[in-house]
Amino acid sequence: MLYDVKLDLHYDYDATVHGGRHLIRVAPISVPGVQRVVASSLSFEPRPHRESHFTDFFGNSVTTIAYDAPHDTLDVRLSARVQVEDIHPPADLSPTLPSLAAEIARFWSVAPDSPHHFLASSPRVQLVPAITEYASEVVDTASSVQSAALALCMAIHRDFAYDPKATDVATKPAEAFALRKGVCQDFAHIMIAGLRGVGIPAGYVSGFLRTIPPAGKARLEGADAMHAWARVWCGQHAGWIEFDPTNAMIAGPDHISIGHGRDYGDISPIVGVLRTHGGHETTQSVDVIRVE
Amino acid sequence: METRQQKPRGKPPAGPSIIADYRLQPGVPDEMIDPAGNIRPGWSALMSAFDDLGPTELAARFERADQYLRDAGVFYRKYDGAAGKERSWPLAHIPLLIDEADWTRISHGLIERAELLEQIVADIYTDNTLVQRGLLPPDLVARNGEFLRPLVGVKPASGHFLHFCAFELGRGPDGNWWVLGDRTQAPSGAGFAIENRVATTRALSEIYADMNVHRLAGFFRGFRDTLFEQGRRDGGRVGILTPGQLNETYFEHAYIARYLGLMLLEGEDITVEDGKVMVRTVAGLKPVSVLWRRVDASFTDPLELRYDSRIGTPGMVEALRQGSISMINALGTGILETRALAAFLPRLSKAIASKPLELPEIATWWCGQPAERDYVIDNFDKLMIGPAFATTLPFDDPRGTALGSSMTPEQKADLIARIRANGADYVGQEQVQLSTAPVYVEGKLQPRPITLRVYAARTDKGWTIMPGGFARVGSSLDTTAIAMQRGGQAADVWVLSSKPVDRFSLLPQDGQKLVRNSPGSLPSRAADNLIWLGRYAERCEATVRILRAYNARLAELSKPDLPILTHARKFLETIDVDATDALPQGLLSSIDSAVHSASQIRDRFSPDGWLALADLQKSAQRFAARVQPGDDATRAMTVILRKLAGFSGLVHENMYRFAGWRFLELGRRLERAIQIARIAAWLTDKEAPDGSLEMLLEIGDSVMSHRRRYSVSAGTQSAIDLLVLDPLNPRSVLFQLTELRAQIEILPGGVDDGQLSPAAKAALQLHTDLVIAEPADMTPERLERLAADIGMLSSLVAAAYFV
Repeated sequence: MLYDVKLDLHYDYDATVHGGRHLIRVAPISVPGVQRVVASSLSFEPRPHRESHFTDFFGNSVTTIAYDAPHDTLDVRLSARVQVEDIHPPADLSPTLPSLAAEIARFWSVAPDSPHHFLASSPRVQLVPAITEYASEVVDTASSVQSAALALCMAIHRDFAYDPKATDVATKPAEAFALRKGVCQDFAHIMIAGLRGVGIPAGYVSGFLRTIPPAGKARLEGADAMHAWARVWCGQHAGWIEFDPTNAMIAGPDHISIGHGRDYGDISPIVGVLRTHGGHETTQSVDVIRVE
Repeated sequence: METRQQKPRGKPPAGPSIIADYRLQPGVPDEMIDPAGNIRPGWSALMSAFDDLGPTELAARFERADQYLRDAGVFYRKYDGAAGKERSWPLAHIPLLIDEADWTRISHGLIERAELLEQIVADIYTDNTLVQRGLLPPDLVARNGEFLRPLVGVKPASGHFLHFCAFELGRGPDGNWWVLGDRTQAPSGAGFAIENRVATTRALSEIYADMNVHRLAGFFRGFRDTLFEQGRRDGGRVGILTPGQLNETYFEHAYIARYLGLMLLEGEDITVEDGKVMVRTVAGLKPVSVLWRRVDASFTDPLELRYDSRIGTPGMVEALRQGSISMINALGTGILETRALAAFLPRLSKAIASKPLELPEIATWWCGQPAERDYVIDNFDKLMIGPAFATTLPFDDPRGTALGSSMTPEQKADLIARIRANGADYVGQEQVQLSTAPVYVEGKLQPRPITLRVYAARTDKGWTIMPGGFARVGSSLDTTAIAMQRGGQAADVWVLSSKPVDRFSLLPQDGQKLVRNSPGSLPSRAADNLIWLGRYAERCEATVRILRAYNARLAELSKPDLPILTHARKFLETIDVDATDALPQGLLSSIDSAVHSASQIRDRFSPDGWLALADLQKSAQRFAARVQPGDDATRAMTVILRKLAGFSGLVHENMYRFAGWRFLELGRRLERAIQIARIAAWLTDKEAPDGSLEMLLEIGDSVMSHRRRYSVSAGTQSAIDLLVLDPLNPRSVLFQLTELRAQIEILPGGVDDGQLSPAAKAALQLHTDLVIAEPADMTPERLERLAADIGMLSSLVAAAYFV
């Protein structure tokens, strides 16, 4: 599946910003066998005084921009063409839940993809008993790690209402869990917290979802914004599998991934330190168009 | 050393020896008394020297040490409320003596240890072979808050991760030293070690001179030279990065900066441009290439590390990635302080160095492994149980760490259940049994548990160990009472040599090239604080002078509604001073503001100046509690005025004429010019009541000069002439402007290729206008405008140097 992705993040500052520095993580990366970035360009308005790039610990593409001069708005624009492979849902190669711990213990590595990074609380996903209990009940009868993850993915879709007004970008998983409401970010965080609570390594994926629904199918929620879902370590053989709790499915050819981390904080589209007083208004527009 | 006992100094001891009452704890080894009950050689010399002095003189000597510390303003911050309080440094007066043979073993063991730690941390942040080889559990790294992912793969510009480490040691029952904790993040206390040494030798100078004690200066010189060499090689400045004055050990950061000649920098003083760290100075951005940080790594960059850090520098990690700055120690080295890591050091040492560590740590079991977890549960009562990922020392952590033997059965059952559920979060450690050493309590010696903090620095010749350090002494026999936050004390450590020692000093040696820092190195924030210190000090003075004149008249006339008094009150209200109070809040606030500005730049002026200011603040607060308006207040104002003059005099006479002094001077001149212009406008106003002119001359401290110069034609014109236009009166506005003009032109960029900076132009304009003005021109309106123009001049200076 070949897509053209366009993103415009627009920031309107309440007070003039006299300078600042941002880290931007919006450009998709190539993942062998999963997706290939054919072309990608990132531009900023106003033009930054300095711009540089690096790849972070988890392999995400990061752009650093810095401003010296006063400005009142900021636009981050991405335009990318991405080839997403249509992988059929894999056969379940994952171990049983009780044997997962031993598989993790045998994994002597702290390389970026090692499950060890994705087991404990992380800055934006604190493990809380309420979510752990919820997850334990859901995965109780699952025969494998993968089926446990899928069960939790379905349960969240069933039990939680999609409501953009209920939460914001800073909402903690425990708060969204108590509300039983939220958006993709909240659902991904709750799924991650639940899985880690029962000992299954899980991380956060940021990305896009295609806009035009295939004929006969319902329009997928979250399509006009950036999207987020979870990735789950299903044992040595199955490896990482991605689940989208917002849409109750295993992530497939409609999911274009920007990158991943332990939680939203590791892959938030923009982090900035500004010399200003006052907040800002944000608008974002996303277009995902299938080319062929 | 032993000869001392054979030749006492003239007089015999007046009473029984000071050690007669020293009672050891059964089964606990002591530093002074050996297991056979004999006093050890060095200690015997020290004790007989104490006996020679006699109890009265000894007490006086120890008081001298305390006085020194108070005078030097040595403090640390105690956290016991919303804002920590400054506490005087708790010196335990008797030094801990260590003989050379013991010390050689310690030094050797610590150098080996520092090298091992370097290799471990280098592996963690590069290839991670230790985890892959099964020597280090992945959990200990991946779940560790001190494992800083943005630093993975970042090679330190200096080639090393560790440059300055501290080790906390304790002597066990077997007489051997053990490591209680490694400090690799941003070890504190080296500066306090110097202050301990200075204070102790003030008290015991001749004893110190006789005992062949190893000097500390050589250690600091070696490290300083290494830092500056690195700075020179990379073409930038060397600074100490401090979290700021609210930090527990800020005094020490300022002290070390002054002692070693490093810039004292806070996160906001520096900025990252094109991946290079620059300090904002009054001469613009200047490169920094070495930062000795006293800030925990995760706070150093709000963009890539802790997003909530308010003391960091955005882009610091970027600068590290580009290799443009050497961080002492590298960000991420805090992971070595993780308590559970101690459990793996024996096997890491065998794997990396092919031998066990000479100076091992106390036995540690990480409950993330089944066999170790079972051991801890089976031996619960014999162990200290604490959080596996803690980086505090076990006895500095009363909330997190507990002795198994001191728990109730319920607490025990609860903790064991938690260990079974989440073993990876817990660590068991052998209970610390510390040796005791004598501490002086109300004229007597008592044994108290001690730990020893030793410092290691990397120089271009390899690791060096400070021959000394400091000992922490418990406030009771309980080993958990060692932390200074809970009443513990600190003692100097004397490493005794068998032969005379080298006497290094940090003063330049003959033949050594002198290196001067260029005047442009003054950080903008420091300059800003210096200007405001000058302004507040001067504002206090003006306020005090008005208040004194007001209260003197109030006392004399005892009618508060007299026109001149009402007129004075109204003016004071414009500067937020309520004259109906004998010591108005407005004045106290100005004094507090001066102290606050000064406290942020303590590395920049002398301890005497700081003490004078602190004394002024204390006196004013004392007066505020009891002084009555009128005569009483007049006298109080005179005292405050004298103390202010004392502060100004100390600073003026003792401060090096450098960019720093210049900004302080600018602040004083600006404020004095503004105040005099405003006061003159007020007291020459057409509505000014009788007696205004006298008051003006009195406030301007010019009564005598006025009488001498204008005996015949005294009047408004002559007063204005003297206080505004006289170029020779140090209180006149013109005098201030002459100084301002000269100082502003010498500032960096003040005159560039004959071009004046905007501030220099404005100063020249104001100066020229006054030079050609006649007294009659200086109407109250013109004076008010003049005050406002000088205020603008202040803003121009700020815009040029503090942005």
